[in-house]
Amino acid sequence: MPEQAEPILEVRGLVKHFPLTRGIVFKKKIGAVKAVDGVDFDLGSGETLGIVGESGCGKSTVAKLLMNLERPTEGVIRYKGEDITRLSGRALKAVRRNIQMVFQDPYTSLNPRMTVGDIIGEPYEIHPEAAPKGDRRRRVQELLDVVGLNPEYINRYPHQFSGGQRQRIGIARGLALRPEIIVADEPVSALDVSVQAQVVNLLDRLQSEFHLSYVFIAHDLSIVRHISDRVGVMYLGRIVETGTDEQIYEHPTHPYTQALLSAAPVPDPDAREQRERILLAGDVPSPANPPSGCRFRTRCWKAQRRCEVEVPLLAVPESFADGPRAHPSACHFAEERHVVPDGA
Amino acid sequence: MLLDVRDLHVEFRTRDGVAKAVNGVTYSVDAGETLAVLGESGSGKSVTAQAIMGILDIPPGRITGGEILFQGRDLLQLKEDERRKVRGAEMAMIFQDALSSLNPVLSVGDQLGEMFIVHRGMSRKDARAKAVELMDRVRIPAAKERVGQYPHQFSGGMRQRIMIAMALALEPALIIADEPTTALDVTVQAQVMDLLAELQQEYHMGLILITHDLGVVADVADRIAVMYAGRIVETAPVHDIYKAPAHPYTRGLLDSIPRLDQKGQELYAIKGLPPNLMAIPPGCAFHPRCPRAQDICRTDEPPLFRVEGPGEDGERRSACHFWRETLRDA
Repeated sequence: MPEQAEPILEVRGLVKHFPLTRGIVFKKKIGAVKAVDGVDFDLGSGETLGIVGESGCGKSTVAKLLMNLERPTEGVIRYKGEDITRLSGRALKAVRRNIQMVFQDPYTSLNPRMTVGDIIGEPYEIHPEAAPKGDRRRRVQELLDVVGLNPEYINRYPHQFSGGQRQRIGIARGLALRPEIIVADEPVSALDVSVQAQVVNLLDRLQSEFHLSYVFIAHDLSIVRHISDRVGVMYLGRIVETGTDEQIYEHPTHPYTQALLSAAPVPDPDAREQRERILLAGDVPSPANPPSGCRFRTRCWKAQRRCEVEVPLLAVPESFADGPRAHPSACHFAEERHVVPDGA
Repeated sequence: MLLDVRDLHVEFRTRDGVAKAVNGVTYSVDAGETLAVLGESGSGKSVTAQAIMGILDIPPGRITGGEILFQGRDLLQLKEDERRKVRGAEMAMIFQDALSSLNPVLSVGDQLGEMFIVHRGMSRKDARAKAVELMDRVRIPAAKERVGQYPHQFSGGMRQRIMIAMALALEPALIIADEPTTALDVTVQAQVMDLLAELQQEYHMGLILITHDLGVVADVADRIAVMYAGRIVETAPVHDIYKAPAHPYTRGLLDSIPRLDQKGQELYAIKGLPPNLMAIPPGCAFHPRCPRAQDICRTDEPPLFRVEGPGEDGERRSACHFWRETLRDA
């Protein structure tokens, strides 16, 4: 993607803490789950930003915040320069039209009692200005066609479709209002391998057809690389490394990114012997009580005293001169390491 | 041969008709060998495993033909009480979802110990000591302190370790792992797979790894059996299949996964959908989705042809009329 003059979405200092309470009548706050704890990123127009991370890293909370389904504790989300986190009423509704979501589970995100036509057309009920009443059926059929389903299926129910087809229905619903941004939270992880490819290709095609910007959230590193222009790696509520797909996959500098990439299963038995695997010890700490300093230090093989006391900033490491490889990494000891074997 | 499944057929009677889940599956596993059974949802890979373990829901399920020879005995001829002695003691299973496979109201120590009390007639105290030993084996830190804890107090990776410990408890000759790491995060998945492979070597067990993940398979398997619509479509040593698949379905699967080391163009996608098991297409079940399909594919069901050609030691088979052409173009 060429550099855009102004990003369509700017996220600055995004924080979401969920309070932990004790007691039923007199709720006392005893702490907070720090699901998202200081996230910054930009999304350019027509660009795909991939966000990868393991469960509990806060990637889905970021999605909810972008959709305005949750209010952030702190921070701003600017859509075309306007902060959308404090909006309400009509102004919020107008913004929502332009940011739509595709969910992970095509089985639970479609109402089983509604026909496909009603599901895809429901956004028009909420935003009647988007399509005049008489025109809706035609619009829905068009959408079905766009996502590769037979327009005659308009009166069928979700259970009459396979997982991949249901995900297409979810995508059609996301497209109904002609949004500029689509937030997709694990859109293909529930699908079979052969169907995954179909849906990924569809998302690719729709992006160029409708000039969409994607925030693509997933745990599968290969799919994220395939679809993203830029990638952010999240760990315990923070972005630890961000860059173009090439910078992240070929020149990772954060130990967590390196471990994640080296652990990804590679469909090549010959790579078994030649690849070096970084096996991390232990589990991800609780976001209610994250480690001081660098949050990854409890599992990091490079951790030193400094990591305990000083929070590493997400910045381009000094060891990188301004080159094509230079990209921000939140590690005191950031160092490039090649971990993805060739042919992987 | 440790396990020899021959021409197994399983069907399910439902209100809407008969679903043919397994249609003549033949595969075998040696001691110390890892066989990966690869397939998408509905391919029959898990149903075959359930039939081997003897945990198939009958009815609605029904085994309509075939043999399951385990250490020379046909398991399908055994009485239920004999079968029960085999299950757990001589073959064990690891499931995908450890949280729902473990009993939430019993401590993990009790659940691990139960194996020894039921099968070995040990006292509670000895069984508890054995449980701690097992938790140590699967590298659960502070096993002694944690043996009295309940499943919800463990993380996903730790719970899967407990499942592995439970499967290993009586040192079975065969372990069937059904998507053992699918529910786990990437970094934890690597830990668990490594542990499983290491323990398998140590105990010289046969391992059937059921999965849909071509990456996991490449990492650990010796041999692969690819299933589609309740049949084996290709079986081969692991290196051969990745280098040159001899069945268009295998080829399609390999081509459709995005790569970590490059940003591809459009992904190859197998067109269409997996078949409805109540109406499996005649001839080769894959023909409606196959780029190579000819008239013969629509009428004649291909047997498992022996694939000749350069490759590793070990038999290679493909259920495609055009395996030669597929292999040549690979």
